[in-house]
Amino acid sequence: MAQPPAAASSDSRDIEATFKLLLIGDSGTGKSSLLLRFTDDMWLQPDEVSATIGVDFKVKVVEVNSKKYKLTIWDTAGQERFRTLTSSYYRGAQGVILVYDVSNRSSFEHLQTWFNELDTYSSSGLVVKMIVGNKSDKDVSGGREVPRKEGEAFAKSMGTLFIETSAKTTYGVRDAFAEVVHKIVETPALWQRSPAQRSNVSLNAESASDSSSMCAC
Amino acid sequence: MGDYLPHAYEAELSLAPEELQTLRDLYKKEGASVTPQTKFNYAWALVRSANKQDQQLGVDLLHAIYRENPGRRRECLYYLALGEYKLGNYQKARRYNDTLVNMEPTNQQALALRALIADRVQQEGLIGMAIVGGVVAVAGVVGAMFLRRSKD
Repeated sequence: MAQPPAAASSDSRDIEATFKLLLIGDSGTGKSSLLLRFTDDMWLQPDEVSATIGVDFKVKVVEVNSKKYKLTIWDTAGQERFRTLTSSYYRGAQGVILVYDVSNRSSFEHLQTWFNELDTYSSSGLVVKMIVGNKSDKDVSGGREVPRKEGEAFAKSMGTLFIETSAKTTYGVRDAFAEVVHKIVETPALWQRSPAQRSNVSLNAESASDSSSMCAC
Repeated sequence: MGDYLPHAYEAELSLAPEELQTLRDLYKKEGASVTPQTKFNYAWALVRSANKQDQQLGVDLLHAIYRENPGRRRECLYYLALGEYKLGNYQKARRYNDTLVNMEPTNQQALALRALIADRVQQEGLIGMAIVGGVVAVAGVVGAMFLRRSKD
């Protein structure tokens, strides 16, 4: 199931580049729901959602300035027990989306830990980072614990992009991914290689490259 | 290809030998008092290996974790299914994955893996039929040659 329709129908020769994105953040902040909304425009009720096992993976083709980019998006488990596993997926990522839940203060406070994780395992200092405050629809029920301004201020202090989203209502979801992709496109040093190398920009090529980062915790 | 089979794609990405070695060393160092976490990390790395012996060892370890740690059953079932899938044991892979689907009927990862296993079984079935078909065709040609010869 969950075939990415855009990807399945598009000719690989049209693809300008492939970008690797990573979703990280505490368990229950809605990483998988954001991804499911973005790739399949689907929403599961909270009681239908299972905690991610290890890591999940989806593909979507997006268009920026009439050029097509293929996104391989890695949705990591937030649970501590999978931390060693997920650390091996940071390598080669051009964009990282750090997700917290605006109705759960501790998920916001843990962002610093996720930044530390990112600094340890990321292979490039140029990697595009975005903080996403998900579940913004909780405003209606009065469940918000982190004001939007506080999220914005923290993102500013960390020098990252910021947006609030609701995977439930779709609010901000497309914009979140679009902004990250735009920023990556604007940072050619992250992804442009010599023409000879460009043909084999693939996940396999990445996995064969440097292997220094591995958490043995 | 990667678009169509995302999970196989993920499972086929092996760790670097040094990474696998790090996890193996830790597993061996802890010896008899090995923690479920260390054991699981090692098993996961083994399942992701391209080497069949590693994959089988990973599956064996996951069986042990499944028995010893009821709190880790869902991830054991998922990686057991992936491991058996990689080993080509599709019936077993389907059985483990179906157990997980029964526990969590809307688990997107398990549903995707179910589709992937079904797809592979169908592909291999077609290949099997093509081989059988090929044998029949060759037999037919040989038979026809014999017939022609006997007529000459």
